[in-house]
Amino acid sequence: MSSSPSLYVDRATPLHRLTARSKLALLVGVFTVAYVFDHPLWVAVPLVGSFVALVLAGGWRNFRRLAYIVGALFVVGFVVWPSFTPAGGPVVVDLPVVRLTRRELLFALGRSERIAAFVVGGLVFVTTTSNEEIVAGLRSLGLPYAFCFALGTALRLFPTLLGATSTVRQAQAARGHEVGRGGPIERLRSYVPLLVPVLMSAVRDVQTQSMALEARGFDTRGERSFYDRRTFGGADWAVTLFGLALVVGGVGLSVLGYGNV
Amino acid sequence: MTEDGDAATLGDAATLEDIVFAYERGVTLPAAEEFPPPDGEVPDPDERGGAVLRGVDLSLPAGSFTVVMGASGGGKSTLLRTFNGIVPDFLNGSFAGSVEVFDRSVPDSRVPEMADAVGMVLQDYESQLFGTSVGAELAFGPENLAVDPADIGERIDDSLSLSGLDDLDRGRPPSALSGGQKQRLVVAGVLANRPDLLVLDEPTSDLDPLGTREVLSVVRDLADGTGAARWSGPDTIVTVTHDVEAALLADRAVLLRGGQVYRAGPLREVFTDVEALRSARVGVPPVVEAFDRLGWERERLPVTVDDAADAVVEADLAWRPPATDSGGEGDGDSLPGVPAGTGTDVGDPLFELEGVVHEYETDRRTVRAVDGVDLTVREGEAVAVVGHNGSGKTTLAKHLNGLLAPDEGTALWRGRPVDDRSMAEVGRSVGFVFQNPDHQLFAETVAEEVRFGPENFGLAGDELDRRVAEAVETVGLDGQEDADPFAMSKGQRQRVALASVLATDPDAIVFDEPTTGLDAAQRGRFMDLVARLNREDGVTVVMVTHDMGTVARYAPRTVVMSDGRKVADRPTRRLFADETALSEWRLRPPQAVALSNRLAETVGPADALPALSVGELVAGLEGAATGEGTDTNTDADARRETERGTSTGPVASERGDSP
Repeated sequence: MSSSPSLYVDRATPLHRLTARSKLALLVGVFTVAYVFDHPLWVAVPLVGSFVALVLAGGWRNFRRLAYIVGALFVVGFVVWPSFTPAGGPVVVDLPVVRLTRRELLFALGRSERIAAFVVGGLVFVTTTSNEEIVAGLRSLGLPYAFCFALGTALRLFPTLLGATSTVRQAQAARGHEVGRGGPIERLRSYVPLLVPVLMSAVRDVQTQSMALEARGFDTRGERSFYDRRTFGGADWAVTLFGLALVVGGVGLSVLGYGNV
Repeated sequence: MTEDGDAATLGDAATLEDIVFAYERGVTLPAAEEFPPPDGEVPDPDERGGAVLRGVDLSLPAGSFTVVMGASGGGKSTLLRTFNGIVPDFLNGSFAGSVEVFDRSVPDSRVPEMADAVGMVLQDYESQLFGTSVGAELAFGPENLAVDPADIGERIDDSLSLSGLDDLDRGRPPSALSGGQKQRLVVAGVLANRPDLLVLDEPTSDLDPLGTREVLSVVRDLADGTGAARWSGPDTIVTVTHDVEAALLADRAVLLRGGQVYRAGPLREVFTDVEALRSARVGVPPVVEAFDRLGWERERLPVTVDDAADAVVEADLAWRPPATDSGGEGDGDSLPGVPAGTGTDVGDPLFELEGVVHEYETDRRTVRAVDGVDLTVREGEAVAVVGHNGSGKTTLAKHLNGLLAPDEGTALWRGRPVDDRSMAEVGRSVGFVFQNPDHQLFAETVAEEVRFGPENFGLAGDELDRRVAEAVETVGLDGQEDADPFAMSKGQRQRVALASVLATDPDAIVFDEPTTGLDAAQRGRFMDLVARLNREDGVTVVMVTHDMGTVARYAPRTVVMSDGRKVADRPTRRLFADETALSEWRLRPPQAVALSNRLAETVGPADALPALSVGELVAGLEGAATGEGTDTNTDADARRETERGTSTGPVASERGDSP
C-alpha cells in the first residue's frame, strides 16, 4: 500500500483554511521572532508554538519523518555554536574534554532552537498548504509560475526520494550490504551502492514526470488559467496582521535588549 | 504506405511515414528503405543497438482502437511517443520521417502544443499525479491549456464520469486511492484536456487483475463512445501492452518487429497468425494456441473464451479435464503446498510465519498491512503469493528474510527466529529479487554487480570467481561480464539482479513481481529459469505476482492475500476452480483456466478442475475429440507428464506436445 508522497496533510483545521499568502506572512513573523532573540527561553516561544501548531494540524507523522534531521541539526548546532561566542558567567559544564560557561551554553541552546524552529515552522506550512496553494501563494507574490511550480514539485518529490532510498537500502541489505562500516574511506564507499540506484531512480522519475507534465500541456511559455482559487478573507487579514505584529514586536523588543544572552 | 484499406474509408487520425529514430543524438540515420524488411532475420532488440524505429509506416484510422505489441525494447513506447511529439521534441535523439496527427505536423510542434489533441497515459501512475486532491488533479490540464475557469468544473465532471469515478470526492487526495483508481484518475486527468487521440503506454502493467479490469473497462467504453453527454470521449485510441488478454479488447492490432511494422490489421486477423505473434515475441492467446495445436484452420480459430466455448459446443466436442474434484489427481489436498504435478519432493519447513502482524502509519491512521498471517513454506516448494494492490503480499514477503520484522507474531527460518540472525546470515540463505532491478544495480559491470553479494558474505578468491561465473552462465549472460548493466534492456537487468542473488547460492529465493515489464519470450525464459532452479537445484521459490498466467503455469501452490489477511492457501488448480471466490478477492483466472472452467459448466463434468496450461487444455480437448473414452490412470499420468513439460519447459517444448 502506498503512503502519501506529499508532506501535505488533508485536514480541515483553521490553519488549512488560510491562504498560502497569509500563512507565509505568519511564517515570516515566527521566523523573525526566532531569529532576533538569542536566549533559549525566548526562542522557545516560536519553536514550541510551531510544534503545537504542527501537531494540531495533523503533522506529527511529518515531524517523525524528519525528526532525525531536526535532531541532527540540533545536536550539531549545540556542539558547534559555543565556539562562536565569548565565554561568560559561571562554568556550568566542566568535563575533561569540554568546558562550558553559562553564556556559551545558553547561546548554543538558543541557536539550536532557532534552527529547529525554522524547520518545524516550515513543516507547519507544507503540512497545511497544498502544492497548488503554495504555487498560487508564491505566484501572488510576483514570482514566475515556472519557479513556483518547480518548488511545489520539489517538495512533493522529497518524500518520494525518501521512499526510494528505503527500498534501495532494503535491496542492498538483502545482499549483505551494511552502510557505515569500517574506516572513513570505507564508510564513504559504502554509500555508493545506495546513492547510485537512488540517483538513477530520481533521474528516471524526474524524466517521466517531465514527460507527463508536458503531455498534459504544462508550458512555462504559455498563458494558463487558475481554477477554484481561495480568496483572501477576513481570517487571512487577521493572520497577516498578526504576522506583521510579530515582526515589529520581535524586532522592537530585541532592540530594547530583551531576549539576549 | 498504410497497411490496409481502412484509412481510405474512415480517414486517418494519425499517419506515420518512414520514421527512423535513435536515442543517440547527432547520428547520421540511414534512410527508411535501407533497413532490411521485418520478415527476415532481425537482430534481437537486446542486442541490436542503433536506431529503435527503423522505417515505420503506420496509419491509425479515425475512430479505431489499436493495440501495438512487440518485444520489450522493440520500440513500442517510442512509437507511441511520436504521436504527441515526445519524440523528437522531448526525447530529442536522431529523428527522420513524417508524423501527422489530425493534419498537424507533429515534428514541427512542441509537446505542450499537442496536449489539446493527444492525451497520453504512461505506465507509472504515481509519476503522473501532480495534484493534492482529485479536483486539483483534474483541473491541472485545462489550466495548462488556459481553459476558462468557468468551464473547468464541467470538464472535471465529464472526465470523472468517463473514467467511472463519478462518486469520487473531489477533495480526496490521490494518495488515498487504490492502484486502479489512481490509474483511472490519470486517465481522467488526460481526458479533461478533451483530446481526440488517446495514447496509452502499458496502462495496466502495475495493476492487480481488478484494477486492470477497471481501467480496461473504461478504455473499452471510451472506444465504444458510450461517454458523458457533453463529450463522448476521444475519437481514436492506441495502446501498448504485453497483456494479451488486454490486447483482445482492441479492434485492430499492430505487431512491431525489427523496429518496423511487421503485421497490422483487424485484431482477429493478427491474433490468429500464430507464427507472426511468436516471431514478434508476442504472447499467443492461450485459446488461439490450444485450437491451433488441435489442428484447426486459422479462419476458424477462436480468439476469446466466449468464442472458444461456443466453438466447442458447435463442434460437439467433449471436455476431459486434467483432474476432477471427486477422485482426480488429488493435487496435494492433504497438505497445502505439495507441488502437485511437478514431481518435486518437499522437505522440512523452511519459512514459518506465525500470527505475523505488520503495521505502518499514514497521515491519517495506522494501517495493518499484514494482519495475523500464518504461513509455512517447505523446502523445494514453489509458492505464489497473490492479491490485490495493497493486500500486503510484498510486506508479507519481506518478513521471510528479515527485511521487515513483525510487530506481532514470529517469523522463523529453519525453526529459528529470523530477527535473531544478522541480515548477512539470512541473506546468504534467502535471496530477494526486487520488482525493479534498478533499485539494486549500481556497479559498472555485470561481473562487479554479481560479485557484490557474495563478497559481502565473505567469499573471496577462486570460490568467488566460480560462483560469479556460474551465476552469470545460469541466467544466460555469459560473455557479457564486462557489459554495463545500465545499458542493458529491462529483461537483461532483471537477469543481472537474479544472477547477483544466485551467486550467494541461496536455499530459497523470494521474487517480487518477477515478470513486470517483460515480453512474452522474456517472461517465459525468465520463469523457465526459475522453475529449473526449483526443480533441478531444489531452490525454494516464493513469488509475489499479479500475473495469473505465471501463477497457473509455475506455482503449484498459491496463497491469496486480501486486506492484509491470508484468505486462501490452496493448490493452484483448486484455487482457480473457484471463480466466485477469485472475484471476491479481486482476482481473475488466466484464459486457459477460464475456458476450462466454462467448459466444465457447459459440457461437463461439473466437478472438473481446470487446465492450468495450454498443454492440458489441448490434452483435454484432443482426447475428447478423438473419442478416447473416459479418464483412466494412464491418461491422467500422461496429462501429468504434459503438465511437467509445460511447467518447466520453454514455449517451444510445450509446442512439442502438439498434435
